Amino acid sequence: MIRPRVVGLVASREITERLSGRATWTVTGLTTLLAVGLIVVPALINQQSGPTRVGLVGPQAQALTPALARAAHAASLSIATTPVASTSDARDELTPQRSPGSGGRLARLFGGSDAQLDVALAFDGSSATILAYQTVPPTILALVHSVLDATHQRSVLSAAGVPTSTITSSLTPVPLNAQTIQSTPRNRAGLNIAALASAFLLMYAVTGFGGLVATGVAQEKTTRTAELLISAVPPSELMTGKVLGIGLVGLGMMTVTVGAALIANAFVKSAAIPPELGPLLPQVLLWFVLGFTLYAFAFAAAGAMVARQEEVQSVAMPFAAVLVVALLLVYATIAFPDSPWIRLLSFLPPLAPMLMPARSFLGSADGWEVALAVGIELFAIAGTVRLTARIYQRALVRGGARLSWSQAIRLGGGARPD
Amino acid sequence: MRAVMGILDPLAGTLLWAGHQIGLEDRLRFGYMPEERGLYPQMRVTAQLVYFARLHGMAGSTAHARAEAWLERLELDGREEDRVVALSHGNQQRVQLAAALVHEPDLLVLDEPFAGLDPSAVDVLSGVLRDVASEGRAILFSSHQLDLVERLCNRIVILDRGKVLASGTLAELRARVPQRLRVQVDTARDWSSKLAGVRVLRKDGDGVLFDLGPGSNTRPILRAATEAGNLQFYGFESGGLIELYRELVAP
Repeated sequence: MIRPRVVGLVASREITERLSGRATWTVTGLTTLLAVGLIVVPALINQQSGPTRVGLVGPQAQALTPALARAAHAASLSIATTPVASTSDARDELTPQRSPGSGGRLARLFGGSDAQLDVALAFDGSSATILAYQTVPPTILALVHSVLDATHQRSVLSAAGVPTSTITSSLTPVPLNAQTIQSTPRNRAGLNIAALASAFLLMYAVTGFGGLVATGVAQEKTTRTAELLISAVPPSELMTGKVLGIGLVGLGMMTVTVGAALIANAFVKSAAIPPELGPLLPQVLLWFVLGFTLYAFAFAAAGAMVARQEEVQSVAMPFAAVLVVALLLVYATIAFPDSPWIRLLSFLPPLAPMLMPARSFLGSADGWEVALAVGIELFAIAGTVRLTARIYQRALVRGGARLSWSQAIRLGGGARPD
Repeated sequence: MRAVMGILDPLAGTLLWAGHQIGLEDRLRFGYMPEERGLYPQMRVTAQLVYFARLHGMAGSTAHARAEAWLERLELDGREEDRVVALSHGNQQRVQLAAALVHEPDLLVLDEPFAGLDPSAVDVLSGVLRDVASEGRAILFSSHQLDLVERLCNRIVILDRGKVLASGTLAELRARVPQRLRVQVDTARDWSSKLAGVRVLRKDGDGVLFDLGPGSNTRPILRAATEAGNLQFYGFESGGLIELYRELVAP
């Protein structure tokens, strides 16, 4: 028996209170700033990753320009060659500028380099040297090596009197095709990140807004407002309204944050969003709502059990611990998506909101599995609401002292006409 | 009181209202002021009253009008937009009372409504309770301020540790208290011990206190007193609720 009008009243009071407080806006602002920063800053750092700039010292090296360009093209590498007069010039251009030039300071701030060159190639008689400031990229090393090889063979064969046409045909590489077994490669890294990101978002929502539910309930209990409420509103309606109101505020805040992050990403193209994600979004959102609801009611029960508001954290600790376990299991899911244990665990109501979407991302969950898990979850939520309402009623009667979980569950189990 | 409001389950017996067991529908027509005050500290006064009125089933516009009216009646006009936490203790108490009254309940349950009030607030609250009662609404309130109980209540119940010790109208309860006579004489002599037919309750610096049964003869007492010395005080002590309470609770 839940009266929508009363639930709506309780929910709208929560929304008004949260939106009129400064805390909500401050937290939204800071998390949005953080999310946008996490996307924009790496993009700024990686801005330098254009073609690898190769300096060619002296005419002998510069003569390799067309060969290097051909080889780079064949290997899908992006390089830009520039002639350099001397080795000491090359050293200068490889070294990051110490003088604060335009943009140099910003680049250094984000760990980038403002050097003019990435590597330089120089000849000393018959031996060649690749010079870099700190490390020589292995791909560049391999590329230069193959070009030098071919050039050397060409000159030796030419000196031995082999006709140019024979040399050219012998040094023309055999056509090489790159082929993969899976026809449409899944963006595995992107999907792993998506699975983790959705788990982290749920964790953030539960600890943040579930925590608000718990402290809200504890506040009503310790200020005795609950006595006034409970004579007009049964605990189940009170709890539902509270979870709904705070949940909507939380969803709104997170929409702002995630939306800002996606817009920032669209501008700087920091992360490629896997196209497989699109069709899974409704399921992710559903699990998010279900997971939040389950945990928020559990947090509400925790809030009802305390004697003082400061105790909320410690009473809610078991739920936070379960969340951490669920998060760790998401890592396990990524490592072993087809493990029978993961499959079994992903049906458990406290774990399902994190594991099921992760399995779906990784393509290891069938449709019926998701549907069954959603059913179990709904059942668990209904049970939690009833239990929480009973604990609330009973804990309120006890007024003062803090309840232990075993006491609360015993009280919650006791029959009482609602 | 908490059982009436559905916060506690009664250990024994049933709670009836208009002949049937009290349910949620009835409680929506009750107003309650808990002993430990409970309001949302960060909520503004009017918004809070409107919220409680609507939870009790009132429409939004009516709730607003009633909230405004009660704030004016309780001399809180001008504080409508203040947060409850910013009000003085006495004013918070008034808001608490307004929260109990705002939905125009049929029954008002007030747990120690006068506790911690200054005299002017006591006068305002007394006036409001009289008005509400004269509109035909029932009021059930608990108090340790027995003088207020005598002034305000039609029916009185004295409880001690969950047991009803006495109940009835003020007149009925008064009749149960024996009459007491205090006599003070300026003598050190013991003049009262040998009097026949009367019982001495106690002797102290203010003279002798006699316990008079129904139809007692006071003339022998007066005679003995005037013979012993100059009479300084002779009078009956009122047998009010305080006496009755003392007698019943701590014999």
